[in-house]
Amino acid sequence: MDNSQDYVIEMLHITKVFPGIIANDDITLQLRRGEIHALLGENGAGKSTLMSVLFGLYQPEKGEIRKNGQKVEIRDPNDATALGIGMVHQHFKLVEVFTVLENIILGSETTKMGFIQKAEARKKVEELSKRYGLSVDLDAKVEDITVGMQQRVEILKMLYRDNEILIFDEPTAVLTPQEIDELMKVMKNLVAEGKSILFISHKLNEIMAVSDRVTVLRKGKYVGTIDTKGTTKQELSSMMVGRPVQLEIDKTPAQPKEEILKVENVCIKSHVHDRDAVHNVSFTVHAGEIVCLAGIDGNGQTEFIYGLTGLDRLSSGSITLCGEDISHASIHDKGKKMSHIPEDRHKHGLVLDFQLQENMVLQRFEEPQFQNHGFINRSAVRQYSDRLIKEYDVRSGQGSVTIARSMSGGNQQKAIIAREIDRDKPLIVAVQPTRGLDVGAIEFIHSQIVKERDKGKAVLLVSLELDEVMSLSDRILVMHNGEIVGELDPKKTNVQELGLYMAGAKHM
Amino acid sequence: MEKKSIFESDSFRSVLASLISILFGMAVGAVIIAIVGFRDPTLGAKSVGDGIKLVFGGLFSTGRNAEGALTWGFNSASVGNMLFRATPLIMTGLSVAMAYKTGLFNIGAPGQYLMGTMVSLIVALSIPSWVVPPQIIWFIAFFAGMLAGALWGMIAGAMKAFLNINEVLACIMTNWIAANLVTFVFDVTSYKNVVENTKSGYIYKTSFNNVQTAKMGLDKIFAGSQINAGILVAVLFAIGVYVLMEKTTLGFQLKACGSNRHASRYAGIRDRRNIVLSMGIAGALSAAGAALYNLAGNTEFFWSTYQSLPAIGFNGIPVALLALCNPIGVIFAAMFMSMLSIAGLQLSNLTAYNEYITDVIISVIVYLSAFSLFIRTILKNVGKKEQTVNANAEPVPDEPAKEPADGAGEAAALDESSNTEEGGKQA
Repeated sequence: MDNSQDYVIEMLHITKVFPGIIANDDITLQLRRGEIHALLGENGAGKSTLMSVLFGLYQPEKGEIRKNGQKVEIRDPNDATALGIGMVHQHFKLVEVFTVLENIILGSETTKMGFIQKAEARKKVEELSKRYGLSVDLDAKVEDITVGMQQRVEILKMLYRDNEILIFDEPTAVLTPQEIDELMKVMKNLVAEGKSILFISHKLNEIMAVSDRVTVLRKGKYVGTIDTKGTTKQELSSMMVGRPVQLEIDKTPAQPKEEILKVENVCIKSHVHDRDAVHNVSFTVHAGEIVCLAGIDGNGQTEFIYGLTGLDRLSSGSITLCGEDISHASIHDKGKKMSHIPEDRHKHGLVLDFQLQENMVLQRFEEPQFQNHGFINRSAVRQYSDRLIKEYDVRSGQGSVTIARSMSGGNQQKAIIAREIDRDKPLIVAVQPTRGLDVGAIEFIHSQIVKERDKGKAVLLVSLELDEVMSLSDRILVMHNGEIVGELDPKKTNVQELGLYMAGAKHM
Repeated sequence: MEKKSIFESDSFRSVLASLISILFGMAVGAVIIAIVGFRDPTLGAKSVGDGIKLVFGGLFSTGRNAEGALTWGFNSASVGNMLFRATPLIMTGLSVAMAYKTGLFNIGAPGQYLMGTMVSLIVALSIPSWVVPPQIIWFIAFFAGMLAGALWGMIAGAMKAFLNINEVLACIMTNWIAANLVTFVFDVTSYKNVVENTKSGYIYKTSFNNVQTAKMGLDKIFAGSQINAGILVAVLFAIGVYVLMEKTTLGFQLKACGSNRHASRYAGIRDRRNIVLSMGIAGALSAAGAALYNLAGNTEFFWSTYQSLPAIGFNGIPVALLALCNPIGVIFAAMFMSMLSIAGLQLSNLTAYNEYITDVIISVIVYLSAFSLFIRTILKNVGKKEQTVNANAEPVPDEPAKEPADGAGEAAALDESSNTEEGGKQA
């Protein structure tokens, strides 16, 4: 076959067994120098395990890793770093109380006599940031910046270390279409300069657009490696899922009925700067329609949802839900008429160290069917949780008693969706419900949301993914700088126009 | 289903980890006894042997026979006194354990203990027992003490909940305020014991007002000891805390807030109220320990406390750690700690060693109790290796979150569990 000198990294016949589970079964991945190689697979397909093996976090039972044709041992991440392998993780590894600059240089600080040379580092980071169009505020603390900017910090961190082999783990999840295009350019520049990129993704559009070759994994097994040029999205998705997948959402036109949610002139103060994070926002959501709040990350969507659901206070304006003024009601009271699929499933969605069944009744444990004079009715909780797990196909190691932390991201999200939809409230607030999930899970979640709409629920969707915005919503509201700058009909608009509104270049 | 390896059971690992720290502590104690014994000409090999035996079995020592050899058997006074001393320790241990389960590190147990002491003593001594039956006074004093401790704990809780001040800082501060407040109050009031004024600086025993904890026949079983029904009350409290935390909706809320405050808020749980409540309950438990100790009738309180905090309060921390914050485990951990102090007494009575050697052993165990998490991690790895060999075993999801692997990490985990987004890993 190919001359092995072509490959900068080869992972040959890797097998990694966890107790009772074969996470990687004889997987071979060969990365050519200067190519963008996509690694495609559903959650639990073994992508993360394979990357952890490459990164030295796990030792494989069988197989070997070669760099430039030479066999190498990677025992820990330091070995990987020494070999020039860098990774942007899906869950960011940043120190929240450090500044952006400090995070970037952390671990490879330039020092002179024990003092950190921040000025030098700053120069280098600024150059990188300009060169690759990764705008960051170097002096902001990580805890104060948006998820999108945190992602850019992670990428800069890797660039700062002059890594040769770059692993991008779901890098586009938080970017706007324009930013994604920009990132694609960055990636192409990088490979043009001789770097090699492993691109972990399940977004078929991006894989088609940017990668040279694709390796597909399914349930720990190697399915195949193909040239991107010779394949289609449809073929890739069926390779990944193992069955033909419906990529388009099957939904009928909306039949909006009575008004459920009315938002009038809502303003919310920002916790970062002096201006309003949300300014003078008004709109309505009716029963039987999906209204999508679109926009670039950090334009007030998160703050608005916090205000709507009670996690934060409104500074002015009013919110009416089912005819009742809930502007200043408690979270508990608001929850009586509203389900909320939160943006951050680890921060808000789940108590990670609790069992799945306890998480399933997180809002409902005080309801009569789950308690008796203040004592939790364990068997009722168990039954309820078992039912949700079955109905919504939530997979976990030990069913209801699984600790939430040990579940995969997709199943954690499914558990939250099951819980929120089953609460059966007139309004469903879904914030990035498919963030970081794979095709199979996205298909399922979208169909559930459409099903709820058809049952007469009002759905307020917040999404950063343009595909999702365009295909799932019945009405699009675009937020920019805390204000609603446009209302669009997904049938009459296109991604480019939407992008202009999102960037603030176009107003109503 | 395949049979699980015993190492896979978390509770087994936890208990084993605690037992290992205890054994290791006692072994270190034995080594110290040997070193001291062989270096000191007045002690020698025989004393070393006796000393080591007493450290391990002091509770069952019955003295020496005519030949001068140690005799062993059931010593009712020792066992009774062990239970008596364990009573307040169980309560402060419960206080720390309960707070820890809700994500709070209650280092304020000494202050809450002092407030409980002060209020229960004042109430017990100031209600005239010729008007109100002493049993009723006992209950009023007990609950008044608990209430005082609860309020005192709530101060730190409220500072955490509303001002986001770390509860450890608030607790340390309120500890010293309590120490000075108690000294001040007893200085300006007239509860000082002037009858037995060969001992100055003590408050009246509550038995001066005929208030004392009922014995319920325990003094017959454990003849010659100070035991009273307080130990039964403490055990009931431990069961109560267990039920509260594991079975009730309130416990569910409290734990949810401790594990992930953000998710609890999201779910409509009132996180602020729960943090205050949690510290209130913890304070009430510490103070109840103080009341049980001081209302015994045979105990005296040295009121000039402004320079020191009661060790019983702080000892709640190692008790809770040793018990891995399990309320039932707290009972045994507290009994074990007080058993060691009994062993210390026996050691100084029966050999030329002084009793402080047991303080050394206790400190080694306390120190090691912080390592019990570390030991648990080692045991987990032992279990994992065994499992990997056995490829047919049941699937175990790998754990993304690594437990802190050293003592410092443990302290940090205690500290941070309340404010990290993912919630600290519960011990």
